[in-house]
Amino acid sequence: MKREALTQKLLVLGVDGMDPKVTRKFLAEGIMPNLQKFIDKGSAREDLSHLGALPTITPACWTTLATGAYPGTHGITCFWRQSPKSLDAVVYNMDSRNCEAEQLWNVTTEAGLKTLVWHWPGSAWPPTSDNPNLHVVDGTQPGSVNMGVAQLDWEKIIAANEEITELIYAPKLERPAGTGCMISDLSAITEEEEEPATDMMELWYGEAAMTGSEIREYIMGPENMEMVIESIPHYDVVNSPLKNAEGWAAAPADAKEFTILTSDGIVRRPTLILKNSDGIYDRIAIYKNKKAEKPIVVLELGKMVSGIVDDINKEGVLKPACRSMKLLELSTDGTAVKLWISNALDIAQDKLWHPKELLKDVVENVGPVQPVSLVGGEDAYLVEKVYEPAWDSYSQWQAKALNHLIKTRDYQVVFTHLHNVDCAGHMFWHLAKNLERWSYTDPEVNQNFIRKFYIQTDKYLGEFLHLLDEGWTIMILADHGLLVGEEFPPQIGEYGGMNVQVMEELGYTVMKKGENGKTLKEVDWEKTTAVQTRSNYIYINLKGRDAHGIVDPADKYELERKIMSDLYSYRYKGQRVIGLAMRNKDAVVLGTNGPQCGDIFFTVDEGFSRLHGDGLSTVEGAFDTSVAPIFLAAGNGIKENFKTVRTIRQVDIAPTIATLVGVRMPAHCEGAPIYQILTEEF
Amino acid sequence: MPLEQLNAKSFEEIIYDNEEPCLVIFSRKDCHVCKNVVPVLEELQPQYQDRVGFYYVDVEEDKNLFQRFSLKGVPQILFFKGGEYQAKLAGAVDEDKVIDKIAEVLES
Repeated sequence: MKREALTQKLLVLGVDGMDPKVTRKFLAEGIMPNLQKFIDKGSAREDLSHLGALPTITPACWTTLATGAYPGTHGITCFWRQSPKSLDAVVYNMDSRNCEAEQLWNVTTEAGLKTLVWHWPGSAWPPTSDNPNLHVVDGTQPGSVNMGVAQLDWEKIIAANEEITELIYAPKLERPAGTGCMISDLSAITEEEEEPATDMMELWYGEAAMTGSEIREYIMGPENMEMVIESIPHYDVVNSPLKNAEGWAAAPADAKEFTILTSDGIVRRPTLILKNSDGIYDRIAIYKNKKAEKPIVVLELGKMVSGIVDDINKEGVLKPACRSMKLLELSTDGTAVKLWISNALDIAQDKLWHPKELLKDVVENVGPVQPVSLVGGEDAYLVEKVYEPAWDSYSQWQAKALNHLIKTRDYQVVFTHLHNVDCAGHMFWHLAKNLERWSYTDPEVNQNFIRKFYIQTDKYLGEFLHLLDEGWTIMILADHGLLVGEEFPPQIGEYGGMNVQVMEELGYTVMKKGENGKTLKEVDWEKTTAVQTRSNYIYINLKGRDAHGIVDPADKYELERKIMSDLYSYRYKGQRVIGLAMRNKDAVVLGTNGPQCGDIFFTVDEGFSRLHGDGLSTVEGAFDTSVAPIFLAAGNGIKENFKTVRTIRQVDIAPTIATLVGVRMPAHCEGAPIYQILTEEF
Repeated sequence: MPLEQLNAKSFEEIIYDNEEPCLVIFSRKDCHVCKNVVPVLEELQPQYQDRVGFYYVDVEEDKNLFQRFSLKGVPQILFFKGGEYQAKLAGAVDEDKVIDKIAEVLES
């Protein structure tokens, strides 16, 4: 069919985790002026929200936004899907080949519209069509562009002073900042050759995961919960002696020196500490070696520098990689220094760029893909000095890259996603309320960090305002919001694996015991009748279906009734924890039925939600936060300065875009255009 | 001929400042695999005189160096050239493997 377009160019600005409720708070404070301009020029609900799909999990919701279909229909119901071989294991799911609904970008490209899909973490990669109108960048993990495939070296803090006598490197230390990044007791493990430790990033999004290997994670207790893990910063620490510069080709008089180690400790970068004209040490210069005439970079105190390209030595092979760095502290007499260096991204890694020449274009005209920071959590010093500024820098790089591509490539439809708010949310949103577990942190400090991330987002959105004057229609939306948890919850509804605690207490999941009576990380399948995996799913251990099934299919219905009854009766600190629990067939009312949604779908009730991903999309938390996602639109085809009372469902976004750009509806679309905000009557 | 032992300071000078092609075995006195590999290197050493340096680090005396290279066990032979790490051999290795690796590093 042929439909007349209401706009010739449409840009979706996706901000993962952007919550309309806390946004309204910040709009009222006047700290989001760019977003206010979009609102004034466009249409939205008064509360700026839309009704997110369930589960409120990133890939599920971005896939709904792309297809107009509910998760039960498109089949992407979590970061992972159930392993076909075992109930306690999951397999990688951020793979477009698992999506059973048609993506809107296949429709737009088929209609001849040149379309860019930029880091859309839901059914975007591998490219879903060989149509030359379709360009795709990454989408294999939620973090940042190329994060999953281009990392060559991890984040480091380097501390140097005159008291340190020996160069020390300690990889991935936990909470090292608490001791001022000084290593006092380095207990080297000197066992004979053993298996290397597992990296979570590699486990979840690495090569093995992407080719279908099983991931088996048990949430046994609080220490396995993501909010606990993510709030503990891990980074490499280097301690270096600091002394007067010696043996340099280009060191000025009075310069001091120390050493930075990169490439997992195997590359040395000698560094000069330099004086200004007033005789105060105020900067450092990092060199490839002491014979080099020019430094790789000069860092001034307190200023983050991004786009620094240096060689990383990976198994003896040198690869140019991009880093950001910041000189955090430098005593005026040059006797003590502390700096942060980001992880390093291979600047030539183009395997997730389609066509590959897009990467070269961006690198040459905007700069190499910038790394973000993943250290912060409960360490307010690092969040303020490193984590937030690194994400700000990345956001600005992304805005420049997108504007460059939009300006030079004649795209007509552009889908984009930014992960700054969500990534920060997982690190420290829960610290914005004073929970007993984190009584040593300051809620007000963390509330201000939330504020900073929204200011950062407003700055990012502002980079696209000019497109409204150039005929573009712009939608600003999110997959879900993020709440500040009211309570430290029991272990049910955690998306990162199999949740043991509550199901064990209720007697459905039984773990094996060791000789000393200690619970092992191994399910006793002969006694287990049901397990709870991923965010919201319970599976009956069914004979004839599951590898170790013990429940007769004839007993399944009654067992489901009993489990749901027990879930509703379960109490934690005297309160009901479960919001809704229903059989798979009944969960069609929520869009969470079908083969990827377990035998029982349940939600955690308001008050016990962590951040997102476990409850309804309407739940609210402390500090005026909610799990609802934002939605607003402005530009050609959209009413100006207009408010609608319509309930906008997540499935309605794709058909609205289809209507605006004049193409047919995606094949499995279950929503309807938001007629009320369109300038034309239908 | 016994291998020359490096400590943290001499390691920096020889490997990074002098930039000479060399190999360094990280070993431990009571490691039975190390006891087999070290003599292999001692025998090979004269063949490479003035071309490749042969050194060892005792990981118990210099834990920091062991940790710095993210080594998970001993013995490990690390190869350097021009102040850059080139390659590694882990565990029990024979003479041929070491010869092949040296050739590979010198040619690279």
